[in-house]
Amino acid sequence: MFPKQMFDKNSFKNVNENGKIIGFSFDMKIQYYRGITLSIIRNIEVEVDEKSYPRDSILFTVNNETFTLDEMRTVISNRWLFGQYARVTVLCENGLSQGQHHIKCIQTIAPSYMPFQIVGPGELDFEIQEDM
Amino acid sequence: MKYKIGRSVSLYSYQQEYYEGKLDLEGCIREATKAGARGIELLAEQMMDDFPIVTPEFKEQWFGWMEKYNAEPTCYDAFLENRIYDNRTLTLREQVDMMNRDIKIASELGFKTLRTLVATPLDVIEGSLSCAEDHNIKVCIEVHSPFSLNSGWAEGYLNMIEKTGTKNFGFIPDFGIFCKEIPDALREQALRKGASKEGVKIVDDAFKSRVENGFVKIDYDLNLGRAHKAYMEANGYPQLMEALKKANANEADYFYAGESFAYTWNDPKDIIDNIKYIYHTHAKCYNLTKDYIEPSMPIKEIVDAYKKAGHHGYLSTEYEGNRMLNDALEVDSIEQVRRHQEALRRAIEDE
Repeated sequence: MFPKQMFDKNSFKNVNENGKIIGFSFDMKIQYYRGITLSIIRNIEVEVDEKSYPRDSILFTVNNETFTLDEMRTVISNRWLFGQYARVTVLCENGLSQGQHHIKCIQTIAPSYMPFQIVGPGELDFEIQEDM
Repeated sequence: MKYKIGRSVSLYSYQQEYYEGKLDLEGCIREATKAGARGIELLAEQMMDDFPIVTPEFKEQWFGWMEKYNAEPTCYDAFLENRIYDNRTLTLREQVDMMNRDIKIASELGFKTLRTLVATPLDVIEGSLSCAEDHNIKVCIEVHSPFSLNSGWAEGYLNMIEKTGTKNFGFIPDFGIFCKEIPDALREQALRKGASKEGVKIVDDAFKSRVENGFVKIDYDLNLGRAHKAYMEANGYPQLMEALKKANANEADYFYAGESFAYTWNDPKDIIDNIKYIYHTHAKCYNLTKDYIEPSMPIKEIVDAYKKAGHHGYLSTEYEGNRMLNDALEVDSIEQVRRHQEALRRAIEDE
């Protein structure tokens, strides 16, 4: 719905915890025209350089709360606002290598009134810079 | 008959600029009034950050903006998230509670009408009518293409009005039911995505023939997926697919073909027949040219029906062309809304 405006190009980075890289993260906006409770987000799929990551390796953070995709199914009082960046963290050993990458991310959202789900993909070339 | 037709803008029209952070809620209200509208329509779930809570601060700001820009709230667009849990649908009681919650928000913010979607079950509407009456809100079901007035589907709601005698329920027609052509911006987008001239022509010809021969109307069915499927079949979708297959159509051709079924042509006299129950209108538009023409629909002919019917209410611009451009091109919703408001003004004021 807003494929070109989905990602924050400058948000891609490796996630460092206690001196160890535990994954990578990026910020994105919703591919839908209103804000929603996290409970109607059915899936978020991440593929970088044609490698896809398992569903249970993905964490979603918005309004200072973090959930797994399965946990999100019961979240009805935290809304991902229209136009708001949420952070997606993908847990994977060593994160991504420095340099150029390509991401494809698909949001699957199930608005109650629709007889089908919205599948909103976005793609972007991005760069992982040297760790600060 | 004497008519009093006001102009409104649904802030939905500015979603692209809002999404990109170029306009905030106040900016949208300002632009709508600059375009000549007095009425403001809001999707609270799109632009009210604390939804479903109306904070005292927000309320104060909201009415402050109404005063500052000489505007008035017209329609509140509700969604009824009745499948908020993925393992069940809300019970009737829960759905009525949710509907009543929205009616109260609408009333608190000064709206007169509440848009509910075609998927709203009839018993949920019936269950919320007393709350609507208490809060002086007209709950209106959106007549959004491919649904239409004067159809088996609309009949279901008219029967309910008759049965209950309610004065708090009616229709919000969406101008997408008055498309004589597929929006040109959609055609250009399909071509940009690689649609073939031949494929596009097949789809355009099929649409033209639906307009000439009349669309088969959609039936009342709570199972919207089933109703939609039957509608597609009755209006020649399988035959169109067959023709595209024969022509070796590509993915973009099929995309265009699928999208083309979102638009329908109905006789604007449907408005006159149902005017008693029309309390607000979504004046949908996809592309306005520099000389204020919407190539997909005859604005003047549609507005004339409202005048002839003696309508008292708002026509609310709902620009939706952004999604036909934003894959590759810049969107200028502010200019599109301005042009559409001018087109509406001319159609309303021209004798």
